[in-house]
Amino acid sequence: MIKALLKKDLYNLATYKASLIIIILFCGIAIIGTEAMTIAPAIICGIIGMISLSTFSYDEMSKSNRYILTLPTNRKELVIEKYILAIGATVLGGILGMLITVIVVNVMNDLRPENIINLDYQSLIVATMGGIWGISFLQAIQIPSIYKWGAEKGRIQMFILVFIIVAILSGIYFLINKANINMNMEMIKNFITKFGVWIFIISTIVMYFISYKIAYKIYKHKEE
Amino acid sequence: MENNIELQNVSKKYKDFELKDISFNVPQGCIVGLIGENGAGKTTTIKSILNITKAEGIVKILGKDSKENEKELKEEMGVVLDDSFLSEYLTAKQVNSIMQDFYKTWNENKYNQLLKQFDLPTNKLIKDFSSGMKMKLKIATAISHNPKILILDEPTSGLDPVVRNEILDIFRKYIEDDETRSILLSTHITTDLEHISDYIVFIEKGKIVFDLPTNELLENYGIIKCSKDDFIRLDKKDYIAYQKGKYQYEVLTNDKNTIRRKYNMTIIDKPSIEDIMLFYIKGEK
Repeated sequence: MIKALLKKDLYNLATYKASLIIIILFCGIAIIGTEAMTIAPAIICGIIGMISLSTFSYDEMSKSNRYILTLPTNRKELVIEKYILAIGATVLGGILGMLITVIVVNVMNDLRPENIINLDYQSLIVATMGGIWGISFLQAIQIPSIYKWGAEKGRIQMFILVFIIVAILSGIYFLINKANINMNMEMIKNFITKFGVWIFIISTIVMYFISYKIAYKIYKHKEE
Repeated sequence: MENNIELQNVSKKYKDFELKDISFNVPQGCIVGLIGENGAGKTTTIKSILNITKAEGIVKILGKDSKENEKELKEEMGVVLDDSFLSEYLTAKQVNSIMQDFYKTWNENKYNQLLKQFDLPTNKLIKDFSSGMKMKLKIATAISHNPKILILDEPTSGLDPVVRNEILDIFRKYIEDDETRSILLSTHITTDLEHISDYIVFIEKGKIVFDLPTNELLENYGIIKCSKDDFIRLDKKDYIAYQKGKYQYEVLTNDKNTIRRKYNMTIIDKPSIEDIMLFYIKGEK
C-alpha cells in the first residue's frame, strides 16, 4: 500500500518537473559563475526536500486522506509513506547536486584547460551531507507540525523556525567574536573528520525517528 | 437474510454534536438509504463504519469486527465520498495505476470498460472534469475491484437529473449482478431513494428516527388533510406530526388504513419520503 501512496504523491509532484529543470540549470550557471562547490548540493537538496512536503497541500486540497482511509491501508502507513518520500527526496537532491557539480566542473575544465578548477571531493561530500542534515532537521520538525496544524500553518511555522535558527547561530558567532574566544579549529576539524560521518548518520536517524513517533501520535487521533 | 453491515449502538461525541446509539443493518442484496438533513449525522455514521473516526459501539462488516479486521474488510468495500478523492491533479489513467497497488482484486479491464461506458477521458486532469464526470470516475474507481459492499456518501448531490438517473442505474445494475452485494447510500435528495432503495434509515440530530422498508413507508404512511374540527377528533397516538395550514390541517400518520377506518377520513395523500422527512423535522407534535 505504501507503493500506491508513493505513486499518488509522485504523480502529484510531476507538476514540478519544469521548475526542477530550471533550478538545476540555475545551479549549473551559479557553479560556473562562482566556482563554488557547495552551491548545488545545498540548493537542490533543500528545494527537492521541501517540494516533497508540498504533497501535504495536495492532500489537503482534495481532502484525499479521508478517502485514502477508506482504502485497504491505515494511518501508520500514511505517515510512514510521507517520511519515505521526504527522506528519499532529500537524499536524491543531495546526490543530484553532487553529480551536477562534478559534471559542470569537469566540463569547465575540459573547455578551459588554462584555468583548472580543483574539485575537492571531501568538501563536496561534506557540503552535501551538511545540506542533507539541514533539510532533514527542518523536515523532522515540519512534518509533525503539518499533521498538527495543516500545510499552510506548518509552512509559516517553518519560516519562523529558520529565522530563529539563523538568529541563534548569528548570536553565538557574535558572542564568540566579542568574547575573543580562540577556537581550536584544528581540533574541531580533526573531530569532525574522525566522527563526522557517524554523527551525521546517527543524528539524522534519531531526528527522523523521534519526528515519526510524534507525527504518528498526532495523526492517530486526528479527525479526517 | 444475512447482513453485510451491522451497527450496534454506535455513538460519537463532538463538542457541538452527538451521534447517539445508532443501530441498523444493511442486508445482502439490498440498497439502504440513509437520509436526514445536512448535519444530522449521516456522514459521521459512514465515517464510523469506515473507521475514519473513532466511535463507540460495534460495527460488523461481513460478520467481522470492523476495527479488528480493518484492512481485510476494506478490500471488500468500495467507497464514494462526495467531497474527497485521491487528488484533483491526477488523470483517470494514473488513478488506475495507483488503485491496482491498493487492491489485490483490482480489475483493470473493468475499470477501462467503465471509463469507456461513462465517456471519461483517460489523460485529462480530474480538476478539469465536470461534477458529473468526477462522480462517475469515483464510482468507476469504487466498483472496479468487485466489492461486496458499496458505501456512498451523497453521490448525487449537485448533479443534474440526467446524470443522477444514469448513476442510479449503475447502482441498480451493481446489485442485480450479484445479490450478495449491498449498498449503503447517504443522501438528502430523497426522491432518488424512492426508486431504488429497499430500506430507509432516517437520522435526525444524531438519533435514528425510523428504520423501515421503503415499501412499508410509502404504503402505510399518509398525509391526512382535514379541518380543525376533524383534527381535534384525532387521538395523539394515531398521528406523528401535523402542520397547520391557512385553510386546513395536514397530519402525518404511519397507519393510513386505521385512520380511514377509525375516523372515516377519506382525503389521505400518499407522501413522498421528503414529505415524511419534513413532517418529522418541521411538524408540530
